[in-house]
Order: sequence, then structure tokens, then C-alpha cells
Amino acid sequence: MQTAKREIAVSMTDISKRFGPVRALENANLQIARGSILGLVGQNGAGKSTIIKVLAGIIKPDSGTIVINGETVTSLSPASVEKLGVHFIHQDRLLVPTATVGEAVFLGHEIGFGPFVSRRAMERKAADLLKRFFGMELPAGTLVKDLTTAQQKVVQITRALAQKASVLVLDEPTAALVKREVDSLFDVLRRLRDDGIAVVFISHYMQEIEKLCDRVTVMRNGTDVGTVDPRETSIDAIISMMIARDVGEMFPKRSVTLGAPVLEVANLRLGGGFENIGFNVRAGEIVGLTGLLGSGAKEIVQCLFGLKTADGGSITVEGKQLALSTPVKAVRDGIAMLPEDRRAHGVALGLSVRENISLASLRRYSKSGLVSRNSENQAVDGLIKELSIKTPHRDALVRELSGGNQQKVAIAKWLSCQSRVYVLDEPTVAVDVGAKVEIYNLLNRLSGEGAAILLLSSDLLELVGVCDRVLVVYRGRLAGTFSGPSMNSDALLAASSGARSNADGMAA
Amino acid sequence: MSVSANDSSKMNLRAFLAKYSVLIAFAAIVIFFAVASPTFLTPANLFNVLVNNVVMLAIVALGLTIVISSGGIDLSVGVSVDMASMVFVMLLATGYSGVVGVGGGLGAALIVGILNAILITRLNISPFLATLGVLFIGQSTQQLATSGGQPIYLTSGYAADQFNAIARTDLFGVPTPVIVLVVVAVAVHVLLHRSVFGRYVQAMGAQPGVAWYSGIRVPRELSMVHVLCALLAGVTGILLSATVKSYVPLSGNAFLLDAIGATFIGTTLSRERKPSVIGTLLGVLLLAIVKNGLLLVGWNFYWQQVGIGVLVFLVLAASFGLRRASH
Amino acid sequence: MSATTLHTEAGASDETRTTGKSAGRRFATLVVRLGAIAAFAAIMAYFVVFAPGFTSTFNLINVVEQSAILGVLAYGMTSVIIGGGSDVTEGGIDLSIAANMGLCAAVYATLLSMGYGDFLSVLAAIAVGMAVGALNALAVVGLGILPLLATLAVLNVAAGMELTLTQNTVVGASSPLLGFLVSGSFLGISALAWALIVFSAIIIAIIHGTAFGLRLYAVGGHPEAARAAGLSVPFYVSFTYVLSGFCAAVASVLTVSRLSASTPGSGELLLSVLAAALLGTVFSRRFVPTMGGTLLSVLFIGLLANGFQLLNVSSYWVNGVQGALILLVVAITSFARGSEGSR
Repeated sequence: MQTAKREIAVSMTDISKRFGPVRALENANLQIARGSILGLVGQNGAGKSTIIKVLAGIIKPDSGTIVINGETVTSLSPASVEKLGVHFIHQDRLLVPTATVGEAVFLGHEIGFGPFVSRRAMERKAADLLKRFFGMELPAGTLVKDLTTAQQKVVQITRALAQKASVLVLDEPTAALVKREVDSLFDVLRRLRDDGIAVVFISHYMQEIEKLCDRVTVMRNGTDVGTVDPRETSIDAIISMMIARDVGEMFPKRSVTLGAPVLEVANLRLGGGFENIGFNVRAGEIVGLTGLLGSGAKEIVQCLFGLKTADGGSITVEGKQLALSTPVKAVRDGIAMLPEDRRAHGVALGLSVRENISLASLRRYSKSGLVSRNSENQAVDGLIKELSIKTPHRDALVRELSGGNQQKVAIAKWLSCQSRVYVLDEPTVAVDVGAKVEIYNLLNRLSGEGAAILLLSSDLLELVGVCDRVLVVYRGRLAGTFSGPSMNSDALLAASSGARSNADGMAA
Repeated sequence: MSVSANDSSKMNLRAFLAKYSVLIAFAAIVIFFAVASPTFLTPANLFNVLVNNVVMLAIVALGLTIVISSGGIDLSVGVSVDMASMVFVMLLATGYSGVVGVGGGLGAALIVGILNAILITRLNISPFLATLGVLFIGQSTQQLATSGGQPIYLTSGYAADQFNAIARTDLFGVPTPVIVLVVVAVAVHVLLHRSVFGRYVQAMGAQPGVAWYSGIRVPRELSMVHVLCALLAGVTGILLSATVKSYVPLSGNAFLLDAIGATFIGTTLSRERKPSVIGTLLGVLLLAIVKNGLLLVGWNFYWQQVGIGVLVFLVLAASFGLRRASH
Repeated sequence: MSATTLHTEAGASDETRTTGKSAGRRFATLVVRLGAIAAFAAIMAYFVVFAPGFTSTFNLINVVEQSAILGVLAYGMTSVIIGGGSDVTEGGIDLSIAANMGLCAAVYATLLSMGYGDFLSVLAAIAVGMAVGALNALAVVGLGILPLLATLAVLNVAAGMELTLTQNTVVGASSPLLGFLVSGSFLGISALAWALIVFSAIIIAIIHGTAFGLRLYAVGGHPEAARAAGLSVPFYVSFTYVLSGFCAAVASVLTVSRLSASTPGSGELLLSVLAAALLGTVFSRRFVPTMGGTLLSVLFIGLLANGFQLLNVSSYWVNGVQGALILLVVAITSFARGSEGSR
């Protein structure tokens, strides 16, 4: 690795920013060097995205200095930052779906003569760039909406390259990519680094940071707690810099006695999704479910809640076979679902805590179609207390709550239904560490009360820490069931990528 | 109306204005007209406003309030008004009894509502486009049924008696249309703000995905919403025909803007800026009083339209401007 | 510590699955588009065979002339939908455009009848039209009112002002410009038809040939992406409303020339304008509103009315058929898109 002092492209020093009483950034520093890849890591809320938004000109800092290419910049705007050669690849794919690839790459910097554009030239040049940097060939005039997620990410990066970026900031660029695409993206980033471009790589995936980055800046509580070389510092050490608490405390211990099977799935099949899926979840048991994107694990969960209708097989809850074609039926049959997209499906931000919690169980608090506010209030207050939901009062809008508390509201909704089966789809995504622990505690308590819990997650540590048993799905089939000592993240990873087929044998 | 966002005293003032803007405007307008026209505050005039300008609009607006609460819109309320009015008058003209006429009229409105419901929940057409298409078709139907828009007048004889039985009777001195409005308003209030159905409607309006994932039968509830709205518009159609003793094709559309305006005026009254029955009724009252007041101070019908347009515009500006500022 | 989180791994099957799905969707979209166009063609073919004189040059030019007013208005509406996005409740729409044309026509005819010349009168009409457009822009962009509601309120203001100005009467008008538009012709094509051709050429060049037009589509298609690309979204959206007002003013001159007067009731055109702009999307590969598609559907609507007339079918059917067509197109569009999208 290079030891010579690298030229600094961007230097941010003593950046502070408050949002009302919340300190988002407190004297944070960030040094981005030319010809190197800088990793930026930290828990949600550590200030990573805030400092990046400051650099992008989206948020104005309260104090601090920003020097770009040797010049002190006093006010930044998204447009002026781009002129300075600093480009951002945002997490959400900011591309116009109905544009062609050429139009998307050159939007705002169109090629043409006078006010007129030459679509041919734009398509051709975009195709050249895609071929040169990524070896990717697309039919001329392909629309953005017809591209895969990975291709769209690549188009976004091409956009920055077309405008001669000297600093490239990538926010979680690999989240939706398959392994092969991640590898080719990394090749491109290394090539760009060797060309002298400064790359900032924000990621939650430690192994990627380790593989790719030359230096890593760790953020915690709105400030940078250190910058290290990932080849010299272990991932465990980096993680402990990120988290104030010890990793071991994340997953609270529990002891329950398992009861009779509550949820039984046999021979479940969905065309184009999965086949021959069979397992059961007993009362008090937490069963994990995992698989790669497109493996069919997600579809299994969707079938269990009636979001998709299975083509064959049976789903039985407490001995009663269910015909699940809509969520309406699933809810009536005692299945609770915590969806992955909390804002779209979990809680209605514009409704109050009370209205959200009672939404799925209104009939319990109503007589002849009219809601009894007294019994509703009692039940809601009880749940707010029980789950220690931090809200000013029961009629506060859910929008005003933190992410973790919103998730607790989503769980409380099902507690008031007294469901027997809980299906959780990535319940701890975008939730901070403290709230994660509370959610794990809640799962433990639910299982202690005899609920059957199925947890779909791609966080292997979480699965190992929380579950009694983990089912791995690979290409639409159960590739293995793991429990006890055989249940570790290495084994789960191997099974989900098809490297190993079985550990305990199939569950009946 | 640009206000700096950080100043807390301005925030309080803004919150105060946001909460009471409509009431303040209301009071100011009443005082203005009371001073400008001596007849404005007389009981006879206010009674006239209530019966002629409030009742019919309010019933349409209450139906629309349900639809807007559910996150949708119904541009075809005018068609529901017209179809009910048309069938009602045609049945009476052919000698059927008032009961059959009212039933037939409401049935016609019901068909409009069911058509909307099918288009929206079965064919997944957005409420705006679905009800726009129904608006087109409804207008065409009326033109075809009346050879291009010929009104039907039934000013004397048996039919006129039936009309009078609806529009010109009273109970303890309260005119029948006003009683109808009170019944409708109470029913819609209970439905929207006290019932399980109403809660589902609010949830669909706030976030349809959450409603679906909570096990709510969204298509069924949404169908109900559109059918109710059309039925209420149909009630107005019956009252309209009974009052003017005729059916004038394509006259229902006049209610659309006022009803939307009234509903949104009402949303500025609630803390969460949601449509509500009381808000909508106040909105209707405000529009009616402004119309009547403008008439009394000598503005002609044309200027009234400008005045109402400007008023609705200002209320929308206040409502959306304040909402934007509070986020 | 090894891997803590799962990634998609070498998913050959995953990839075929996604591309397969999107290919299927693309195919369905194509079928829908071709189906709708085939339906249009079938209606036309029916008229060609059964409507006497339908294909005569005189008749076709007549249709183009009749379509000029609708066409210019529909361009305004289309530009608003392009810039505001085609989500009908939240997206761009200008319900005031037809009423605005009525107001401009009233201003134009009134000024002419008061003895002001063509130049001043046209200028005044354009100023009024663009002012109404600017009012819409202020309401939508400045105050954040839903376009549907804002332009509905402005519709009433404009219609009320027209009525106030004309007292709901016909205001006769004549001037050299009007005379030229009515009777002038070049290469055997009348001035009114030329007006549509020239206006179409200019607007198609601007919207589909320039960087400006490209950016306008970006603003409507994905405002966040446009903002990230450094574009000023409010400017583009405002522009479309002012352009819409300008189109209303141009159309007002055409309508006054055609009727030799400003007449009440121009608001009735609104539904046809909306129909033209919405139907036009099926002519686009990307299912977005385009000026060319709008022109085609304007001509289609014109031919529809004309064909009905020649077949002696009541013109009252036209509205209903337009409504049914909108529903048909939108229903199959939403079917082709499947469950993608919010609802």
C-alpha cells in the first residue's frame, strides 16, 4: 500500500449541526484523500449521513470549515458541489424511470448543439462509457425502468464519471447487488482510485469495508472517533469503536419451554418462487428464516400472510388448515405480520398512536359497528406502558416518534389482536441499537407467552443471537435447518449460497 | 405568505392562525356583511340562506368528505345529482308515486356509485380518472335522454304536489330539507368519526398499504365510500328537483367546486388537517353566507363566481401554505 | 468474525427471473399499446368504409381546422402533465385552461370591439392568459396547493371574470388578423390549419428536441432525480403552467376567428382537452404524455366527432365515447403495469 502522503481532496473540520435539541454533528472531521478509498462506518444516527449531506450542500452546518481542492468553501449547494467535481451516488436510485440510459447519464449536461440535444450522441457516448468502465452492453435506447437494480446503480456511477468526478461518494452502493456485481463494482472503484480519484464508500457490510477500503473513518454520536487502516485493525475492533456497548449484550438470554406446534407448513409451493417447503414453529419458539435475495424466503413469508397465494401445499395454525388468499384472512386466522417497509405497510405516519395500535383489532373495542373510546383507550394505554413506547400521549401522531418507537407501535398493533403466530420481515432494519435490543426483548417475551415466531432476516448475527432454529432457503428449496452449536453465521452463509446442503436434517 | 421557520413566537402565531383562520375569516365576513347590508342579519334572510344555499350543497359536500377522507376524490358527484333528479322527475312525469320516484332516483345515483366503485376497486383506475370518465359518460347519457339537454318542468298537477310534499312541508316549523340535512349530518358524523368503518376510511386515507396489511378489506370499504357519496349526492338531486319542480340537465356540476372547496375549508379547522363533518358544514355555511352577502351588497351572479373562486383559492392557499410551513 | 450479513450470491437463477419478469411486463405493455392503437385504427377504418365523404380532402382539412383550437389547448395541458408528473391526484393538471381561453377570448374580442388594434388586443389576451398561468404556478409551486384543487379554483375565477366582462353575451369581433385566419390560405391549406401545423412544429421541437424538454420530462418523471442533477424543479413546473396559459391565449385568438366572436361556454372544451392529453400516452413507447401523441389523439377526437356527424349519429355520443375510451385506456394501462406502483 502507498505510504506517501496523499493529497487531500476534501477536508471537513469541526463540523457541528443541531436540529432543535438534537446534536446531529459535534465537531466532526472528515479527510478525503486523492487516489484512495475511504470507508465511512457508524451505526444509524451516528452522523454519517448528516456529514455527507453537509458535503452535498443539502444541509447547512452551524459551524466548521470545508476545504475542497485547497479552497475554503463558505456555502455549498448541490449544484456548486458538482461543479467542484464532488459527486454522490445516493442510496435510492435517483434516476428518471422513463428516461433512456443516455438521457439519464447526461441529464443536466446534455450533448447537442445550442438548445437542441442529440439523442444519438448521448446514447452512443453513454454506451461507450458503460462498455469502457463496466464492460456492460445494453440495447440502444433501453429505458431506466427496464434495467435491473444493479444496472441502475451502474448507470448512476457512469453519470458521475461522465462529468469527470474527482471525488466520488457512494452511499450503501452494494445493498441491492448480487455478488458478481459487487465484485465488478469493486474492480471499477479500485480502477478509479488508481486513476487518482478520491472515493468515499459508506457501507454496513464490514467484510466489504475490509476488502475494499484503504482507510476507515468510524463515527459515533455525531463525531469521528477515529480513522484506521482496515488491514491493520480487526473488524471486531472497528465494531467496538462503532458501538459503545459490548456486542455480547445485544442479544438478551432467554429460557422457554417449547409447546406443541402452532404453525405447520407442508409441501408449500409457489410457481417461480419456491417448492416443497415444509416446517413447523412450536409455541414459544423463535424460528429464523433466511436466504439470499431471490431465494424464495421472502415469498414464503408473503404466502404466510396472504400477500401471495401459494400454488399448493398447506398452512395450518393450531390444527386448522388455512386458505390464505388475502391479508384479511390471515389476520382473521391469527397471523400477525411485521412488514419490512414500515412506512408503507407497518404504521400510518399521519394517524395517532392510538389509531395505529387499535387498527387491526377495532372490532374488539366496538359494539354494533361503533368504537367504544373507553375500552380502546384502556387497551392502548396498557400497550404503550407494556412496550414502553416513548410518546407524549396516545393521540400524538406516529410521525413524531423515533424509528424504534414506530416499530414498537407496529408490534403493539398485533399484540392487541392476541395473535398466535408472528411473522416478522426484517424487523430491525433502520432501527438504532438501543431499539434493536428492545425489539429482541419483546420477541423473547412474546415467545415466553407461548406465541410462535417466524423471523425473516438477512442479518446472520441477529438470527444466531435470537433464534432457536434457523431455516435456510436456497433457490426456492429448504437448504438446511440449523440449531444449537451448528447454528453459526459461517454455516448459515455457506448454506444460503449453496455451498453446503444440510446440517440437522430437514424439519418435518 | 412567507414566514421564517425558526422564530418560535411566529410559530405560535402561525399555529393560532392555522387553528382559527377559518373562524376568524368567518366572523370578519359576517360582520362585514352585517354592516354593509341591513337585511343580512335578519332572521328571514338567514333562514333563506339555510334552506336554499346550505342544505343541498351540504349534503353533497358531506358525501365528498367521506371520499376525501379515504384519500380519493369524486368528480362525478354532479352526475349522481343529475341522474337522481332525472329519474325522479321522469318517473313522476309518467305518473308514478313520489315514493317510487324517490326510490328510482336514489337507485340511479346508486348505480353511478357502484360504477365508480367497480372502476376504482376492480379495474384499479385512480379515483380521479375513474370519476372523470363517469362524468363524461353521465353527461352524454343525460344529453341522449333529453334530446340534447331539454329541461323537464312539472310545475302543476300531481307531480307538483309530490314535490311540495318533499320541499315545502315542515315538522314543528323546521322545513323537511333541513331535517334531512340534520339526519344526514349526524349519520355521517357518527359513521366517519365514531364507527369502525370511519376508522378504516381514515386509515385508507392516511396510508392504504398499512390498511391492507392490517387485515382491512380495503376494496370493500372503498366501494362503500363511493357508493355512500353517490347516494348522498342523489339525495341532493331529489331535493333539488322537488325545490325547483323540474329537472335541468347537467345542473349538478355546479356543486362540484363548492363541495370540494367546503371540504377543504373544513380541513383547515382540524389539528391534523383532516376532513371532518363539522368542518365541512362550516365550510358550506361560509360559502353560502358569502354568496348571499355578495348578492345583498349588489354583486351580480358573475361577480359572485369570481368572489367564491377567490375565496376558495385563498382558503386553499392558507390551508396548504400552513401545512407546508408546519413540516 | 466472518460475514455478518447476507448478500445475494452468484444468482444466475435470480437474474433470469428478474429479466424474465421485466420482459414479460414489457411485452404486456406493448400488447396494450398496440391494442389501443388498433382500436383507434379500427374506428377509423369503420368511418372510411361507412361514413360518406369521410376521406375527402375537404373533409379532412375541415377536421384539422376544427382540431386547431383543441390541439393548442391540449399542448398546454400536456406540458403541465409532463412537468408535474402523470400521477393524476398529486401530479400536474390544469383544469383552468379552457376557462382561461374563454377569458382571453373575451378580452381579445372586447378590446377589438372597443377599437384597439390587433397588436394591442392580441398582446393583452396573451398577457391575461399568461397571468392566469402564473397564478396557477404561484398556487401550485409557491403555495404547494394540489394542482387539481388550485386550478379548479382558478377555473372559477377565470370563468367568473369572463362572464363579468361579457355579461354572458356574444361579443362579435372582426379584424385583419381574424380575416386572414378565416379566409387566408397557402398551398391550398387554410390559415387555421397552418396555425395548428406551425404551432405543433414549434412545440414538438421545444419539448422533444431541446435539452429543456428533456429536463422537463426528468422533473415530472422523478423530481428527486432532477433535483439531484442540479435542476430547479420549481422553475420547470412554473414554466409549464405559464406555457399552458400562453396556449390558452393562442387558442383564444383561433376560437374568436372561427366564430367571429367570443362566446360563452368555452369551459365545455375542458373534458376534450383532458381526454386528448390522457389518450395521447398510448402512442408513446414509454407510456408518457408526448406532444406527438397528443396531436394524434386530438385528430382522433376530431375525426370521431366528424365521423359521427357524417353517419348521422347524435353528437351527444361523443362525450360518452371519449369517457369510455379514457376508462378503457387507463384500465388496460393499470392492468399492464400490474401491481407495480402504489395501488
